[in-house]
Amino acid sequence: MSKAVAIIVQIAGLYIIYLLGTLIQNTFNLFIPGSVIGLVILFAFLSLKLVPENWFKQGVGFMIKHLPFFFIPATVGVMSYAYVFEGKGVLLVFIGLLSTALVMGISGVVAQWMARRREAAHE
Amino acid sequence: MNSLLLASAVIFMTILIYQGALFVYRRFRRIYTAPIILSTVTIIILLLVFGLSYDTYMLGGRWIDHLLGPAVVALAFPLYQYRDLLKKMLLPILVGTSVGAFIGVTSGLLLSKWAGFSELIIHSIVPKSVTTPVAMSIAESSGGVMPLAAVFVMIAGIGGVLIHPVVMRFSRLTHPLGKGVGMGSASHAIGTATSMERDPLEGSVSTIAMVLSAVIVSVLAPGLTLLFM
Repeated sequence: MSKAVAIIVQIAGLYIIYLLGTLIQNTFNLFIPGSVIGLVILFAFLSLKLVPENWFKQGVGFMIKHLPFFFIPATVGVMSYAYVFEGKGVLLVFIGLLSTALVMGISGVVAQWMARRREAAHE
Repeated sequence: MNSLLLASAVIFMTILIYQGALFVYRRFRRIYTAPIILSTVTIIILLLVFGLSYDTYMLGGRWIDHLLGPAVVALAFPLYQYRDLLKKMLLPILVGTSVGAFIGVTSGLLLSKWAGFSELIIHSIVPKSVTTPVAMSIAESSGGVMPLAAVFVMIAGIGGVLIHPVVMRFSRLTHPLGKGVGMGSASHAIGTATSMERDPLEGSVSTIAMVLSAVIVSVLAPGLTLLFM
């Protein structure tokens, strides 16, 4: 099997798991998106050794390497809402950025501090 | 037939622009040349120049968008590879992410409330730090607007990628665990994609933080909104 075919078949496999996740979400009316449920399913499959790693290796490698590409259509969507940020709306961009910076900095500092303490305790 | 041709052209152009952005990024590594940012800006400018709408772009764009689901599923793989280390560090990740979720919801809510924005906007900004589908359903159930919530999710995602070098330097984040929790908690999957490019361990931590954050924010948001509004 050539590499390109392997990648395409494996991505199809990932797609099926994603569909399964979506099915579970819809059936049980969950707020967690199907893609995240699919992530948990694949993790469980791998952990329980139900599927061998090399079944997905190339497809996963390709998708993760080009992860930003798959977000492009979603991020381009911002253009439709440019009007929200006219005038006083500019403030919303600053609020969004400030809040994002606070989350990133503080959550990171807390996790890093705890992680370093654990590492020190194990040494 | 015509729309099929247009869709193919859009997909082809998007791949070309993405490849071009990767090329630029490899030679000129700045945060604003990150492929996601450079590609998005280039495409928006092209659409505006040629007078094309987002709906027209999405004739092809939705096919790429379809692959976002399986791309998120793929994140299970590095998570599995680092499972032993992650298991040992689950508590720091969980606590860091919970703190982040609390700060994200409260700061977004209070800042936009003090600035005097309408409830419609406040409810849409609250869930911005989590992945789009979750954010949209949180916003909807509290009285926000779904597309607007999606825009704030993009601000947290793209904005987070843009400002993360400054934030990380300022808060002295050097450990992959701290960086990953920060990126995943603040900028969901877009932050995770950026982390994954740099370091698979940081990316895996970011993946966990992103998933946990989606759950924690959906539980926290309704209560905190009630408390502060």
